[in-house]
Amino acid sequence: MNGPDKLELIGIGKSYARGGKRHPVLDDISLRVADGEFVTLLGPSGSGKSTLFRLIGGVERPDAGRILIDGAETTGERGHISYMPQQASLFPWMSVAGNIASALTTAGIERRRAAALAAEWLGRIGLADVADEYPQVLSGGMQQRVSFLRALLMPRGVMCLDEPFAALDALTRAEMQAWLLRLWEEERRSVLFVTHSIEEALTLSDRIYVLSKAPATVLREIAVPFDRPRRADVWKEPAFVALKEEVLALLQRGGAGDGV
Amino acid sequence: MDSKVSRWLLPVGTLACALLLWQASVAIWDIKPFTLPSPLAIGERIVEQWDRLLAQSGSTLRLALKGIGLGIALGVLSAIVFHLIPVVRAALSPIIVITQNIPLIALGPLLIIWFGFGLTPKLVLLALVCYFPIAWSMLAGLGQADPHLREYLEMIGAGRLTVLRRLELPASLPYFFSGLKITATYSITAAIVAEWLGASEGIGYYLVLKSKGYDTTSVFAAIVCIVGMALAFYGIAALLERLVVRWRPAGRSGQGGGAL
Repeated sequence: MNGPDKLELIGIGKSYARGGKRHPVLDDISLRVADGEFVTLLGPSGSGKSTLFRLIGGVERPDAGRILIDGAETTGERGHISYMPQQASLFPWMSVAGNIASALTTAGIERRRAAALAAEWLGRIGLADVADEYPQVLSGGMQQRVSFLRALLMPRGVMCLDEPFAALDALTRAEMQAWLLRLWEEERRSVLFVTHSIEEALTLSDRIYVLSKAPATVLREIAVPFDRPRRADVWKEPAFVALKEEVLALLQRGGAGDGV
Repeated sequence: MDSKVSRWLLPVGTLACALLLWQASVAIWDIKPFTLPSPLAIGERIVEQWDRLLAQSGSTLRLALKGIGLGIALGVLSAIVFHLIPVVRAALSPIIVITQNIPLIALGPLLIIWFGFGLTPKLVLLALVCYFPIAWSMLAGLGQADPHLREYLEMIGAGRLTVLRRLELPASLPYFFSGLKITATYSITAAIVAEWLGASEGIGYYLVLKSKGYDTTSVFAAIVCIVGMALAFYGIAALLERLVVRWRPAGRSGQGGGAL
């Protein structure tokens, strides 16, 4: 993996004013995502992970620190990332294919090419049948597949996935993790993934940043040792179980009360 | 089947019973036609005066349509401006609310003093009536857009106008149609008032003429035409809504029509 990092955060700090007092949310966070790397932010609920995403997306500005994408400073600038939120956030008045195509045109792809890309990829992931349906007729898992595809196809340096499976039931969630793993290993992108599930983080990532509860700091950086292509049942390996317990202990020491 | 009975049979049956009761009362107590004509007499008068009623209604319809057109144009435009520039909304909304509280019957003569007897005072009157429901429901709709979708668009770098075009305008369409349905019926009433104030044609003019001549049967015939036109306008607006707003799950589409 050569060249500059796809995403680099240097000393990011952010606080909000509430009731006349400053409440720090993020404290001196530095991290990086290399080209084609799957990096996960793991932390308890309410540890400011979504705030960090809003800063990377340029929706808000950090109080301190800098954000670099492809080696160029983008602090406070929008339009450099693609995004997959926890709620599928598909537009109910557009067809499944239309949702994807319209996001691609927002990113500057010409209309006809966007439609062709959407159709081609919906076929590749086996959703050609529902391309012309409204998204609200699809199941939660299907909607998230469409939402992931929409993020994958956007010509942006970094994909930011914000707890994309948190709203799904356990069975669908496991299914979606295996699906995402397979698709991502075929189509390597630089991914910053947020979750509060240790197993999800260990199953999917190359590296994990473990965050403390608010104000969030990086407790530890973990290089996940399991081979690629990774099997979806990697959780059966003893090394996985050991690592999981280690991370859990780390989070508990870091004061995480819940969500792990 | 049960819901069909309560939705159609019940109201139609009630209406038929009321008409029968009316007819019987007129016969039993020998009520004079200039006090209260019987439904049958009104029906006969409509058939007898059909050509004239049709011509007069046509003229009223044209006036009402002009009013709706003005109402839509001004309403949509100002809703967008108010939504994008809240300062304008704060500055102008008291004035607009005040204009809505001046009785038409007081405003009409003033408009004639200011604008003479031509088309202008009538159009001003109609525009004032038709504008408000559309502007206010659309303004509510623009503010009701799903915050998750807004967040998604901001994260992928959409600017203010893209958010308006891709999210807020489509999301406000159901609200726009709620306003249009109200405006559609108001426009007929307002056109009648405008004609009442000074016109040489139209069903409002016909109404004045016949009531001055104590021709109560013809007054009722005119009322039937007016109600018919208002219902037709409402029906057309509801039909347009169904054609345009197709993404809402079935069963919710009739919600806006609760007024009838």
